[in-house]
Amino acid sequence: MSESPHITGWGVASSLGVGRDRFCAALLRGDSGIGAVRRFDTSPFTSHVGAMVPGYESDDRDPALLSHEFGMLALHDALAHARLELEDLRSMRVALTLGTSLFGHQTTACLAHDLANELGVSGPAITVSTACTSSTQAIGFGADLIREGFTDVVLAGGIDVLTPPLFAGFHALGVLSERPCTPFGRQMGTTLGEGAGFVVIERGGLRDAVTRARLRGYGLAGDAYHETSPEPRGRGVAAAIRGALDDAGASEAEIGYFNAHGTGTVANDTAEWCAVQSVFGSDLGGSLPLSSSKGHLGHAQSAAGVLEVITTLECMGAGLAPTTAGFEQARPGGPPRPIGSKQPKPLVYELALSSNSAFGGSNCALVFGKAERATPSSRERRRVFVSGATALCAGVSSIEELASIYAAESPPSEAELQIDLAAELPRVDLRGIDRASELLTTVVSRALADAGVRLKGKARARTGLIAGVLRASPDSLYRFHTSLERRGLAKPDTTAFAQVLPSAAQGACAKALNIRGPQSTVTIGEGSGLLAAVMSAWMLARRRDSDQMIAAAVDVRSEHSAEGALADAACGLLLCTELAAIEVAGVGLAGPEQLDEAIAEARRSWGSSHPVELIVERSNAFGGMPATSSSFALAHALGALRRGEAKSALVASSGTTASVAMILTSTGVTHAN
Amino acid sequence: MPTDLSDYVSSRAAVLDRVRRMLREAMKLRIEPESIDPDVPLFGTGLGMDSVDAVELVVQLDAVFGLTLAGSPWVSAKLRTVNTVVDAIMELRGEP
Amino acid sequence: MSLEDEYRSIRHGAALSRMDHVGLVRVSGEDATEAVDAICSGDLWVRDGRMIQTLILDEQGQPVADVYVCPDDDACILMFEGITTDELSASLAQYADPELEIELEDLRPAYALISVNGPYAWEALSKWLTPDVIGLPYLSFYHFDRGTCFRAGKTGEYGYDLAIRSDYVEHAWEELLELVGALGGGEASLETLDLCALENGFFCVRHASAAGLTPLELQLQWRVSARKRFPGAASIEERRAKGMDRRLTHFVAREGVKTGDLIRDADGPVGQVTAAAFSPGIGGVAGMALLDLSLAHPGIDAFFVPTANAVRPIRTLSSPLLFNRSLLVDPHRHTYGTRDETNDPPLWLGSLP
Repeated sequence: MSESPHITGWGVASSLGVGRDRFCAALLRGDSGIGAVRRFDTSPFTSHVGAMVPGYESDDRDPALLSHEFGMLALHDALAHARLELEDLRSMRVALTLGTSLFGHQTTACLAHDLANELGVSGPAITVSTACTSSTQAIGFGADLIREGFTDVVLAGGIDVLTPPLFAGFHALGVLSERPCTPFGRQMGTTLGEGAGFVVIERGGLRDAVTRARLRGYGLAGDAYHETSPEPRGRGVAAAIRGALDDAGASEAEIGYFNAHGTGTVANDTAEWCAVQSVFGSDLGGSLPLSSSKGHLGHAQSAAGVLEVITTLECMGAGLAPTTAGFEQARPGGPPRPIGSKQPKPLVYELALSSNSAFGGSNCALVFGKAERATPSSRERRRVFVSGATALCAGVSSIEELASIYAAESPPSEAELQIDLAAELPRVDLRGIDRASELLTTVVSRALADAGVRLKGKARARTGLIAGVLRASPDSLYRFHTSLERRGLAKPDTTAFAQVLPSAAQGACAKALNIRGPQSTVTIGEGSGLLAAVMSAWMLARRRDSDQMIAAAVDVRSEHSAEGALADAACGLLLCTELAAIEVAGVGLAGPEQLDEAIAEARRSWGSSHPVELIVERSNAFGGMPATSSSFALAHALGALRRGEAKSALVASSGTTASVAMILTSTGVTHAN
Repeated sequence: MPTDLSDYVSSRAAVLDRVRRMLREAMKLRIEPESIDPDVPLFGTGLGMDSVDAVELVVQLDAVFGLTLAGSPWVSAKLRTVNTVVDAIMELRGEP
Repeated sequence: MSLEDEYRSIRHGAALSRMDHVGLVRVSGEDATEAVDAICSGDLWVRDGRMIQTLILDEQGQPVADVYVCPDDDACILMFEGITTDELSASLAQYADPELEIELEDLRPAYALISVNGPYAWEALSKWLTPDVIGLPYLSFYHFDRGTCFRAGKTGEYGYDLAIRSDYVEHAWEELLELVGALGGGEASLETLDLCALENGFFCVRHASAAGLTPLELQLQWRVSARKRFPGAASIEERRAKGMDRRLTHFVAREGVKTGDLIRDADGPVGQVTAAAFSPGIGGVAGMALLDLSLAHPGIDAFFVPTANAVRPIRTLSSPLLFNRSLLVDPHRHTYGTRDETNDPPLWLGSLP
């Protein structure tokens, strides 16, 4: 399916207003949603401003509750704009892709689960937790769900809430501006915000809907540089933009407007400008209309991407380009002439680019607009193979040991899992690495070794990583919150803050192993590991920005929280496009109650009339490892095929918010190692 | 050696030891405190601390030694090496 | 230019220097990093495009080379002082596993090395290269059409080492000399660079003062791995087990103190001067001394150097000895032409004994 999905509506609960009408009116007036923070005491800080959702400025209820409310407001608003009734949702195949990085102790899939339930969305609900690129990625993956045929409608977006711990963490890093931020302008620093936004993306021709724009493509890339600072020359940003243009089948010259991440910090704005010049060249780059919406929305974190896309969509439809609120004078090292008028500037353009960057070196860019591709993509799908795999938990450090556990159906050892990563990676600086990062880096490194792959040169930018997790590292959360309690809001443990994101392990692993291709951290609760593999497979098949993707999963035993994993576990599989012994013959994705459909979808994409010889389910032996157990099942299936026990295997898992299935077949080629 | 020199030197050695231990823990170094050179640069090279580590260091210096540097104009000049940190602490205590 | 003028260029503006004493090689091949790792004393925790400073030691654990290791895709560029390229090659042959697949390419004479140092060195570079060189972090490098720009330096000011194609280097020299001239500077000799290195606590492998000393005494343990095997590792372990008894410490004096002088306190000998030079910035002698471990601390006034004419008191200090002007310069906001030093703290904050 090469047609670009249709964007038929969108909705917001933002600092500029709840609901599109208020949002648009404020946008066109040139209002800013940044004001004094009233929700909590900001006297410990040197900054006292934030962009809060009107009506909730003093609301200090549980952030999980606020997230849910913001989410429902934005979703209803989006459905109304798309002219979709709740009954329509029940009669169509609908999915949810949500960007959020909850700061609490819950598993991050909870919010998506509750939203989907309340709306009656029965299809898959995937949560992306990569901090500031979460909703940007959610939109990109939403497009994939339609293009891959898993669903017909996607509600894609993000939600975030401004809380005292978030404020404290950013403040301690020294990146908050004292007054409302001036992206690309003279004042250094950013202003935090919050809110929710959703876009409705659907397959064309399904119903009588107004197509407001086309979602042409997305690009993803990692910096592999630092936990909180972007790579100074914008290398990852540039790679994400190029990936988006390639996915969109668009050239740089076709982009009529760029909505930058533009946080206003010293590090981001200069790196981003370097990237623009690198991709567009100094002539085109110098004349490209660009602005940052954070001047009036603040930095809405996980909702930043979607709110900035919606800002652009609203303006594009009105023949305008969004402006940069608060901009007066350009800063050295940044773009000399961003759009900085008081109100959006009249501009007619067909195609827009929007980009975001996040902690852990994540970068994501989207291309969307009124213009569909001039010619449909003639690119063939590539075949996808699994060339390496490893499994890790107490008592298991290889696929063979995994097989013994499956055979015996006995739980793995109770002993604590010991690994010496420094000995396995002697030339990598592992100081300060937390348990989740350590486990993930170990399996990714071993999966590469199992495939006989040494990452070097250009391969680093063409190797990606998708991590399936359940939550943020419990130990880092504990350390961070304890530091707030013991030392006060002005002095949190900043190292712990950087590690408090669910995507921290994936970022640390990418940095340690210099993996710079497309990367993400996703969850569907149980089954997240298999989801990571399914996503890696479809990305390799349809995209051209990577040749290898590592699909990994990690669980960390949480001593400080009742929910979550009971044991440390991790699993890594290397998927690639080069012919290998085992092939990914088919994949399927459906709602949590739709396991049969996911399996049917996998069989359909395999297209074989033969029955599958082997069926592998999650083993109860790994019950205490919710993210990883489905990956173990996949690794076990792989092992069985390698050992010649079968020629085809089906691995399926019904997770908390989605069902996933994958069929592996033997190609007859021998495994290298 | 004269008593005042002897006092100074043992005082200094004690503070040096405590600063080394604090840095070892903060930077998760797997070496003996004695292996941390007193004149080792903290940032950029040497121990290779970064901006995130700097924030934590300032907090620890306050918590452990009562040394408040936040807001003081030339923090970067005071925290260049382990010895300069010891200097700042000794100064706070009124040692020459 | 006189030493004072050269010194002022480096400390207040920008200066240009020839670096003919520095070697430059590229080690490439499947196992390049592993081979380099085998001969260097430090953990090479360094990424592509970055630089790490390390040492090559002899079997006695004494530094013979001061090396920057610069991973460049899968090759490794080495910028080094103290040994010749042949000696480096011999070291690789002797200590790296002979099965390793590597190729050693001497980048000289195809390239020449020149260096720009000073609080406004970046300003000269931003005009000679492109403005985004300002964003290049310390200890990073990148390639441009006619060479490679390494941001390093051993003076404590902004420093850029440029490896430039030999057919172009004289032209580059003239252009840079002009740019540096506009910043109140000119050419600076190795002697002045070494003085600045001494003041800022940068190790100089070329000075004989380092003879007989290991990284323990030299305060270079940070460049020595605690866990890997490398030439000299056994000697270091032995020395550690025995316990070190002396350590290098910085000092200042008014005058009349030179390399080799013995240092005493009221009770007897305490050490020896290993390096000393007159510093215009301090207005006195800046130096380093090897002192008995128990006394090797900054802030001591009790030591002196007895000379024929007089007793020269010395004062031990922490390095860097100076409040480098580069700490006060922000390339995003300042320029040499608009500098305003009226509220700046002085370069030398201490006092002479």
